[in-house]
Amino acid sequence: MLPTEDWGIYVHIPFCEARCTYCDFNTVTGMGQAEHLRYTKALLGEWQSETVPEGSLASVYFGGGTPSILDPVLIGHVLEALWERLSEPVTAPEVTMEVNPGTVTAQKLASWQDFGVNRLSIGAQAMQNHHLRALNRIHDVSMIRQTVCMAREAGFTNINLDAIYGLPGQTLQEWQETVDGLLHLGPDHLSLYALIVEAGTPLHRAVERGQAELPDPDLVAEMADWAETRLTAMELQPYEISNYARAGYASRHNQLYWRLAPYVALGAGAHAYRPGRRWWNVRGVRRYMDLVEAGVDPLDGYEDLTVDEEMREWLWLGLRLREGVDLRRFFQRFRISASQVFGGVLQELEAKHLLCEDGHALRLTPRGRDLANVVARALVDAPPDMLVQDSRAGDVELKDQSCTGTD
Amino acid sequence: MDQAHIRNFSIIAHIDHGKSTLADRLIETTGALTSREMAPQVLDSMDLERERGITIKAQAVRLFYQYQGEQYELNLIDTPGHVDFTYEVSRALQACEGALLVVDAAQGVEAQTLANLYMALENDLAIIPIINKIDLPSANPEAVMEQLLDIGIDGTEAVLTSAKQGAGIDRVLADVVEKVPPPQGDAHGPLRALIFDSRFDSYKGVLVYIRVVDGCLKVGDQVRFMATNKLFEVSEIGIFGPNPVPVQELATGEVGFFAAQIKTVQDTRVGDTVTHAQHPADVPLPGYRPAQPMVYSGLYPVDSEDYHRLREALEKLQLNDAALTFEPETSAALGFGFRAGFLGLLHMEVIQERLEREYDLTLITTAPNVVYEVTLTGGGHLRVDNPARMPPAGDIALIEEPVVDADIICPSEYIGAVMELASERRGTYLNLDYLDTLRARLSYRLPLGEIMYDFFDQLKSRTRGYASLDYRLSGVQPADLVRMDILLNGEVVDALSSVVHRDRAYDKGRALAERLRQLIPRQLFEVPIQAAIGSRVIARETVKALRKDVLAKCYGGDITRKRKLLEKQKEGKRRMKSVGTIEIPQEAFMAILRTEHE
Repeated sequence: MLPTEDWGIYVHIPFCEARCTYCDFNTVTGMGQAEHLRYTKALLGEWQSETVPEGSLASVYFGGGTPSILDPVLIGHVLEALWERLSEPVTAPEVTMEVNPGTVTAQKLASWQDFGVNRLSIGAQAMQNHHLRALNRIHDVSMIRQTVCMAREAGFTNINLDAIYGLPGQTLQEWQETVDGLLHLGPDHLSLYALIVEAGTPLHRAVERGQAELPDPDLVAEMADWAETRLTAMELQPYEISNYARAGYASRHNQLYWRLAPYVALGAGAHAYRPGRRWWNVRGVRRYMDLVEAGVDPLDGYEDLTVDEEMREWLWLGLRLREGVDLRRFFQRFRISASQVFGGVLQELEAKHLLCEDGHALRLTPRGRDLANVVARALVDAPPDMLVQDSRAGDVELKDQSCTGTD
Repeated sequence: MDQAHIRNFSIIAHIDHGKSTLADRLIETTGALTSREMAPQVLDSMDLERERGITIKAQAVRLFYQYQGEQYELNLIDTPGHVDFTYEVSRALQACEGALLVVDAAQGVEAQTLANLYMALENDLAIIPIINKIDLPSANPEAVMEQLLDIGIDGTEAVLTSAKQGAGIDRVLADVVEKVPPPQGDAHGPLRALIFDSRFDSYKGVLVYIRVVDGCLKVGDQVRFMATNKLFEVSEIGIFGPNPVPVQELATGEVGFFAAQIKTVQDTRVGDTVTHAQHPADVPLPGYRPAQPMVYSGLYPVDSEDYHRLREALEKLQLNDAALTFEPETSAALGFGFRAGFLGLLHMEVIQERLEREYDLTLITTAPNVVYEVTLTGGGHLRVDNPARMPPAGDIALIEEPVVDADIICPSEYIGAVMELASERRGTYLNLDYLDTLRARLSYRLPLGEIMYDFFDQLKSRTRGYASLDYRLSGVQPADLVRMDILLNGEVVDALSSVVHRDRAYDKGRALAERLRQLIPRQLFEVPIQAAIGSRVIARETVKALRKDVLAKCYGGDITRKRKLLEKQKEGKRRMKSVGTIEIPQEAFMAILRTEHE
């Protein structure tokens, strides 16, 4: 279990060689070395004006976009700048790099090692070339295998592989091949995501026009269930709805999110959180660079969370974890017990066999894990059994300000 | 003004032939409003009307017009443009001596042109034919003149106009003075004034729109409404110019409105006669009949705590809508609500929309149905306005359903398609004649229940938009009807019951069960859907249980967005009604209407 004072840093690298059909993240294509350098400087500039949270840094995460597209020297600059402002942590933080197999060389891998990157998250997505092509991935299956081999050779001992199920036209057999193909590469961690067709993506348009047909939801459910059984048998334990890890290899970074730990955000469109407030930067890469260079906060919007809202998030996010919500920690954070505030809805969910309370933990049942949204929706707006006074001063006024973020 | 200088007239037209634009132009030309003050289509004063492009409430405008050195008072009485409001149209026409019959120069005579013309002729109105939209490239005024001749109007007399461009408007005004006869009332007789409309004003109470036929109405008069037998003291009299202007009196032949601290339009029935309390007229003006709802539907709040707010909203709407009826009703499935009666489907939709929009209510509306006249084997008689209350087949000696006589005008090549549609809707063929070499008029008797929903849409789509329709109620006729129930999870959901023809019950049951399967979202458990007649199940479908409902990804940058997504989904669920443990969306209750012809 993570100590409460742990916090993390998210660094967004928006550059991509090509845009995947399903992707709705903040990414840009067509920018070259000069922009990469300028952007990296902006990241450093933003970091200099950040307030460093108290406690110890548990994780740094380079996400994207495609962080692996950058010259590793730039990653080195960022990490150096981070360490400069921080006192020596007790344990070395997890430093994760998102990697696209189409952008990797042995040299890059060696450099990342040298600069202190200790975890790779490799976007494999599928183990059939026709699916990779359909998703507009810039790599093929052989490059996935090669990347993992090279990473091991370079000394990486903590490797995650991402894959997506429920792809247009995907059969159960193909999914099984993907999962087995990934297992064959001996990952320490797997993230298996059901495809989400996000508005505004090329995939969304294709589905709307009938050019791509999504599999039946029952088949998608079967894919998820099959993978869980398979991975569990292979000693990869599901520790979150979509995440599996060998013992001791659960992602520290993602757990910060699900436990409402503070995180610093650097980069265009990146989201930051401190108790009571979440905020995010402007999405436009050039705009972000212009603002930082002009010495202006690149803030785009924010939302203030009341204690009530934060308690709800604590519950529905925490329930994504297999170990569930630690009710003692809930009490430590909010000075009131979850059952005092939400007893009514919690009991209702228990009666529907979606939730169970087990000692000090509140967990989803297996059925509750399938229907986590049913639970989350109930928690997002359940009437509280009692109203909780907000002890943070000035919160009411802040709430009234509009926050016009594009998110 | 003396009667010789008054002209009262309406504009009648098929929908979209340019009635409202012509009215705007007349108002503008006579200087009642400057063009700067003109909002397009000033006579349609409710937002909803303007949005839907239809006129629901009639209004009257007084125009002053100089003609050959003399000043005339022209009262333009607007009429509703939808078949739901046929009775209101007939009373508005009764308040006139003349009518402008507007025909689109490109479209020609349509079904509503004819229906309105016949209604005007029944009221002995002078007809001024107007061929409008002559600016259109496809305009063919000569052909329209010939069509007019075929329906007994001298087309060569027609005024050619482009209301959009303002062409021909002076000629229209001159024709109104020359061809519309002045009122012929008895200026010295006892007061008789025809109520042709009314509306509720929150400051003045009900404004009663009248045409003074005999006598004179003054501020301070004690008046009696002859049908409702209510007494009031006239506190204010006014005319619309088109903005309201107070006047001291309305003389014989004049048109205007009065206020008299009247609390509800229920007291001011369209077609009723206003007379003096002290010196009453002996007989009222002819033609009054109480508003009779033709279509009924259940209105239920999604949140049962909104029941009282719904009642208050309906009461408020009723203040301004004498045709709206409602009474409390309890549904086993939907809880407490109201059975509301409407003139027709448009009227129903307008009311529902106003309840949701102006009163912020979230409602479940059951599929509309007509009223069935049921004779019981025991000899009793029932008026069934809710399919769920239809007695068991064994108790019924005879069911009668309301029917309409419909006229459909279409190019002759579509006669076959129209006949096919009419027969699918259980129509009885009455007549076929030709308006000219290209266009035919088909007459059918059709059950109202078969045409109230999508008949017109179907007619349009099967005739590539060329057919026009008008219909009038023509009583009831016996039919072999049965009640079809829908069971969810083995329980009858009364709000989903419908009355169907026995020969089509099987097909309808299958189609409805299938449609419900598509519309009812997956629940936490499997939901069997059955259609049944009595105890006999005629169709069965199953909504499979929800297997997964989970957000695959939720990381730092997603949390706000994902929470909003969850909240939005929750909002969607709030619009559903929980029946037992099953959540049913509004569309499912309307599915009854939409099954058979898709």
